[in-house]
Amino acid sequence: MFEREIEDFIEKIRTRREFLKMSGKGIAGVTVATSVLNLMGCSQAEPSGNEESPEVEAFVIPTGLLVVEPNKCTGCQRCEMVCTVANDQKIHPLISRVKISRNFNYGKEMTENYRYENGYFGNFLMTPETCRQCEDAKCAEACPKNAISQNETTKAWTVDESLCVGCGACSDACPWNMPTVDPETGKSTKCILCGACADNCITGALQIIPWEKMEAIFRRKGYRFS
Amino acid sequence: MANITGWTGSLLRVNLTTGNIKTEDTMKYKDLVGGAGFGYKIIFDEVPQGTKAFDEANKVVIAVGPLTGTTAPCSGRTNITSLSPTNPYHAIADSHMGGNFGAWLKFAGYDGIIIEGESTKPVWLKIEDDNISIEDASDLWGKGTIDTTYAINEIMGKEACIAAIGPAGEQMKNLASIVNSVNHSAGGHGGILGAKKLKAIGVKGTNAVHIAEGKAQDWLDLNEYMMKDIIGSNNNHVVPSTPQPWAEYHNSKSRWTAQLGLFWGAANPPVETGECAAGDKNKVGLRTQKAIFDLGPLAEDRTIKMGGCYSCPIRCQSNMYMPELEKYGLTPYATSTCINYSSPNTAMIKGYADGEKKGMDSLITKCLGSRLADDYGIWSNYGQLPRDFRYAYNSGKFKEVLPKEEYDSINWDLVESGDPGWMVEYYGNLIKGGEFGHLLDGPYWLDQRWNLGEEYWNSYGNNLWSKMAYPKHHSNESGAQVGALVNVIFNRDANSHTHMNMIGAGLPIEILKEVAGEVWGSPDALDAPMNYTPMNEYKAKFAKWSLDRNFLHDSITLCNWVWPMTVSPSKERNYRGDTALEAKFFSLATGIETSEEEMNLAAERISTMHRAACVKEMNTIDMRNEHDTIPEWVFEADPDVKPFTEGTVKLDRDDMQLGLTLLYREYGWDEKTGAPTRATLERLGLKDVADELEALNLLP
Ligand code: SF4
Ligand code: SF4
Ligand code: SF4
Repeated sequence: MFEREIEDFIEKIRTRREFLKMSGKGIAGVTVATSVLNLMGCSQAEPSGNEESPEVEAFVIPTGLLVVEPNKCTGCQRCEMVCTVANDQKIHPLISRVKISRNFNYGKEMTENYRYENGYFGNFLMTPETCRQCEDAKCAEACPKNAISQNETTKAWTVDESLCVGCGACSDACPWNMPTVDPETGKSTKCILCGACADNCITGALQIIPWEKMEAIFRRKGYRFS
Repeated sequence: MANITGWTGSLLRVNLTTGNIKTEDTMKYKDLVGGAGFGYKIIFDEVPQGTKAFDEANKVVIAVGPLTGTTAPCSGRTNITSLSPTNPYHAIADSHMGGNFGAWLKFAGYDGIIIEGESTKPVWLKIEDDNISIEDASDLWGKGTIDTTYAINEIMGKEACIAAIGPAGEQMKNLASIVNSVNHSAGGHGGILGAKKLKAIGVKGTNAVHIAEGKAQDWLDLNEYMMKDIIGSNNNHVVPSTPQPWAEYHNSKSRWTAQLGLFWGAANPPVETGECAAGDKNKVGLRTQKAIFDLGPLAEDRTIKMGGCYSCPIRCQSNMYMPELEKYGLTPYATSTCINYSSPNTAMIKGYADGEKKGMDSLITKCLGSRLADDYGIWSNYGQLPRDFRYAYNSGKFKEVLPKEEYDSINWDLVESGDPGWMVEYYGNLIKGGEFGHLLDGPYWLDQRWNLGEEYWNSYGNNLWSKMAYPKHHSNESGAQVGALVNVIFNRDANSHTHMNMIGAGLPIEILKEVAGEVWGSPDALDAPMNYTPMNEYKAKFAKWSLDRNFLHDSITLCNWVWPMTVSPSKERNYRGDTALEAKFFSLATGIETSEEEMNLAAERISTMHRAACVKEMNTIDMRNEHDTIPEWVFEADPDVKPFTEGTVKLDRDDMQLGLTLLYREYGWDEKTGAPTRATLERLGLKDVADELEALNLLP
C-alpha cells in the first residue's frame, strides 16, 4: 500500500514539475500521505487508530517541495517576523507573506465552540498559511494595473511596486487572502518564494526540500524519479 | 542623526477617573530603556509617598522595550509595574507576562500604557492604533479570563490580543494575576486593575516595528548567529540531558531533553524531538520537551506540542491533550509551564489516591489546577500559596480561624483522599469570599490576620525569604552568597535567572569557573556546588551583574529564563557565550550604536532606580536592616555542620553582612545603609531622583 502511495506521489509531482518547467506556471498544493512524509524524513510516525489523517500541505515550487506540517508548528510567529525583516526591513504579521498570527487565537473562523476548535484557545493547532503560487493566480488576474506577474527566474507571482496602487483587489481575489496591502507604503505584499520563512522555522514545520535531495532520497529507496 | 527606531515614541496615558486619554513622548524616559525601567521612574515620579496599592493614587505602568516585537529571540515579554499589595510597605514591584500582548502593543503604536485613577463602574480599554476608548465591562464582570477574552475578540476581531483579570483581580485579591493569550500571566498586580475596575485591555494595530535603517541584513545575520552559535535550551541549559553522539557533555538536570525516541506524543502524527544537535537552527524549537520535565514521563503521550511567547524559539510551555479534564467541566486541553504546573501539586498535601507523585492523578491535578488558576486569575506567589495552605492545614490554623460553617462547608475529604477534584474545591473556595480566601492576602498580611508564628517564617521547607512576603527564588542553593544577595533586593520573589542560567548550564564546573573568570574578573566568583568559600569581591560583581541583567531584560524586553548568553552549546566556541548580544540587538533595533559597557550602565541605572523607589516608598534609608534581611534558615541549616564545609549550603552571618557591604560598594550605594548616594544617582543621570530623595530627607 505504501509503495502505491509513494508511486502516486512521485507521479503527481513529476508531472506537475514538468508542467512547471515547460509552462513557467506555478502549481497548487498536493496532498502527502504519511508514508511519503516518512520517506522524506518529515514526520516519523503513523497517526494511531482511527484518527483523521494528518493535514499536511505540500506545494511544488521551482526550487523544491514546500512542506507545511501543522503538527510541528509551535506558533512562535518567527517565520512571519523573518519574512518581513527580509522583505520590508521592519516587522509586522499583517504584511508577512506567510500567515500564522491571524489564526493564532482561533482557527480560520471564530465560533462559539472555540474551546474545542483550532487555535490557542482551543486545541492549540495553528497552520502556517503560505501562498500557493497558483497556476491561474487569481491575485494577478484581479489586479487592475497588471502589477502582479510571474518572475522569470523564481516563477513566483510578484508585485511590481511601481505599478501597484494598493487597491487590495489581489487580496480580495485570492481564495486565501494571502496578499496584504502594507498600510505604511500603500503597496501590496505577497510571497516571492525567497524561502526566509522556511529557512528560519525553529522546528522544521515549514521546510523546502530541494529537488536534488528528494531525487536522491527516492532513488536510494528504489523509486524512479525523473 | 538618523531616525531613532526601536521605540514607537508614544506612551499612552489613560485616566479612569476622568476618562481622559492622551499620549506623551516616550523619549524622555529612553535612558531607562523600557518596561520595568519606565515603570520604576514613572511610579517614583508620580505616585505620592504613602500611597497603598489599591488606592486611587496608585498607577499601573504596562510597558515594553526596544526589542519587543522584533525577532530578537525570546523578546516577547511585557512588564507591569506598580505598588505591590503583598509587600508590607506596598513597595514597588514588577510582574511580567509573555504571550502576544507586548508585541501587539507596539503594533498599535505604543511603548507603554500608564493607567491612573479609578472608574466607578467596570470598564475595559480598547486600543486600535489611534482609536482608543474606554468601554463598558458590566457584562464581563465576574467572568473568567478566557470568556472575557472571547467576548472582546468578538468585538475587536479574532486577532486582537486581550489581557484580562479574572474574579481574583475583581475581588482585589493581593495574589491576583493579569492574563493574556490563555496562560501568559503576570502575578501580583491583578488586584490593582480590579480596584480601578479595569477588567481588560484589548489591543491590535497596523504599525510595523522598525529596526535601524539599512540594517535588515545585519539584523538577520545577528539572529542567525544567535540561533546557530549561541542559544541553548530553556534556562540556557547548553548541554543535552542524555548522552548524544554530537555532544561532549550531558547533564541529567538539563531541560535540553530532545533525544531519539522522545515524542510530542499527542501531535497528529506524533513528532519525534530526535537529536537536536547544537548549531541546527531548525531544531531549536524541539530541544526542550518540557512536558516530561514539568509533568513526568506520562506526559509524553499527552503532549500536543510546546508553546511559548511571541518570537521565542525555546518554547517552554507544554500544550497538553487531557480528556480527563472533561470530568471537571473543562475542555480536554491544558497548557502552562513551570510554576503553574508545580503549584497545584504542592497543594495536594496528602499525596494522591494512586500513590504516585508522577502518576496520572498528579498529571490531572497539575493540568486542572493550572487551567483554573489562569481562568480565575490567581497568582501562586511563586508557589508560596500552596505552601501557605499546607502550613495552615497542618498547624490546625483553619480550624481556629475559619468560621465553623465555612470550615464544615469545605470538602476536605478531597485533599485527604488525594483526589484531583481538590483543585476545583481549593480554587473555588479561594475566590468564594470567605475567610479561606485570605490565603490570597500573601504571607505578611496573612500572618497579621491569622498570626502564623515564627516557625512559619523561619523553617527551611517553607521557603519564605523575608517579611517582604515572598519566597526564595534561586537563593543560597544557587551560588551561595550570590543567590542570597540576588534574593534580598526585591519586593517580590527575585525571579532572577541570570545567575542560575549560568550556574546550571550543565557544563563541567571547570569550564564554568573559567567563564566566570572572564566575565567577573576571577574564577573565585563561582564555587563548586555544595562546596562554598567565603565572600569575595568577585561574587559581589557576579551578584550585581545578575541583578542588572535581570532588570535590563525586564526593560528591553527579553526573557530572563533564557537570557543572558553567558555560555553556549558550541564546542567550537569552547562553550563561550556572548554577553554583548543585548547591546548588539539594541544597537540594530534603535540605530543607537551601544557598547556592552554602555548597556551595562543603563542596566545599573534601572537597578538603582528600583532601589530609589524602595527607599522612597519605605521612607527609610536603612535598607540593610529594614529591607535586605536574610532568613534565619539560611544560617541555621545543617546544625551540626559549619559554614564553608563541603556538603552544605549553610551560610555565615558575618560573611553575609560582608556580602551586603561588597554589593553596595559595587553599586556605589552607601555601604552602611545600602541606600543610593547622590553621587551615584548623579553618575547615572538621575539627579532629579536625588533631589526628590533629598527633599524627603532620604539621602544617606
Ligand atoms: S517559525 Fe515554524 S514553528 Fe514558528 S510559527 Fe512559523 S511555522 Fe510555526
Ligand atoms: S496570492 Fe493567492 S491567488 Fe495569488 S498566487 Fe498566492 S495563493 Fe494564489
Ligand atoms: S518565501 Fe519569502 S516571501 Fe514567501 S512567505 Fe516565506 S519569507 Fe515571505
